[in-house]
Amino acid sequence: MRHALLHATGITATLVYAGAIVWVYATQPRTFQDVTQGARVAAGAYKVDSARYDTALSLFHRGAFRAARGEWERADPARADARTQFYIAYAFYREGWGRLYHDDALYGQGLQAVDRALALTPAGSLIVDDPDLKMHTAAELKAELEKGRERSWGDLNPMRVLEERK
Amino acid sequence: MRDDAARRRTASRVILLPLVFLTVALLGGMRVTPDRAFVFLPPPLITLVMAALLASLFLRGRLVKLDAWLGSRHGVLVNVSHALTLIALFFASAQAFNSVLPEQGLLHWMFAFFFLWTLWNDQFSAFDPRRLLRSLGVLFGTAFVLKHMIMAGLSAPGGSWTRRLAGMVFEGLSLGTLDVPAVAPATGYISFFTLALYVIGLALVAPTPDEPGEVRLLLHEASRLGPTERRALREALEEERS
Repeated sequence: MRHALLHATGITATLVYAGAIVWVYATQPRTFQDVTQGARVAAGAYKVDSARYDTALSLFHRGAFRAARGEWERADPARADARTQFYIAYAFYREGWGRLYHDDALYGQGLQAVDRALALTPAGSLIVDDPDLKMHTAAELKAELEKGRERSWGDLNPMRVLEERK
Repeated sequence: MRDDAARRRTASRVILLPLVFLTVALLGGMRVTPDRAFVFLPPPLITLVMAALLASLFLRGRLVKLDAWLGSRHGVLVNVSHALTLIALFFASAQAFNSVLPEQGLLHWMFAFFFLWTLWNDQFSAFDPRRLLRSLGVLFGTAFVLKHMIMAGLSAPGGSWTRRLAGMVFEGLSLGTLDVPAVAPATGYISFFTLALYVIGLALVAPTPDEPGEVRLLLHEASRLGPTERRALREALEEERS
């Protein structure tokens, strides 16, 4: 066959380019930075900024949840690291937890983050070994966040004030 | 030398052409919002219908001779390569329509109707590839001017009071159903580039994939000859052959 190499090159280039276009339309990057980050994630070359991650973790342990979330967002701008998203969700939970009532808006954002963490761990449940935490899996955290957003007669139980933050 | 020309032609057909059409498919749905964020709009269903009608026009206007592009006389690799090029052409057509079609509101349906009406009428007209290209250029050019220059100008925030007044009158006349989404001026430039690339891509498509470019030019020139000149040409060719 004449020019078989040219045809093979054309087919490969077309399929690769078409795949990239489908990926762009599926992921909807909003900036060039999103495009490069997404490409790094797809290629498996994406890494969380470990220095920012550690800073965020120390802020979290000191109770500065909002600051910790900000650092984690900067450490994982592509929102592609399950562990970081778990901690972000946990920070939402702890900030939104109240002895008398829970902040629905923060719990809602926490649910979104924990859903991202779960989506990033399709092989199994995510387990985080941190002695400071009382919930170590994303599934537990999700259940707690969902429970906090539910409305029931149990919310009027005065014994609720004795509940502990996890 | 002749082999080099054939290789260049093949390279342009199997590598350049699909990449041009895929670039059109990528940029056709791209919009830039006023806060400079990208939005990628997949082709709406109506643009796929338009692309199908346009594909039928390509076949009827002999811009693409399907039996020459695909068939048992080619090997598997060539058929796959040609099929991918034609699929890229289909999606490029859909996205070229998407690029000049307003995203929502009454205008979306008005433009869609205008396109469908034109494409449907064209199904019953006699076309040659050049006339078809010219007609498509005019069709896309008109839609581009209407969407990205007139409509975008009327709906842009700020500007002179006459422009704002004209925009309000236009909105009032349509009973508030225009609903033109705000986009950055870059969207118009992207659309212009997309349409230019699409027309260039169409100009590069040969009705018969293996046909040398010079043959098409000669055939075009021959079609403009009168009966006497044609007879003289035929005689000259026969003389040369004998």
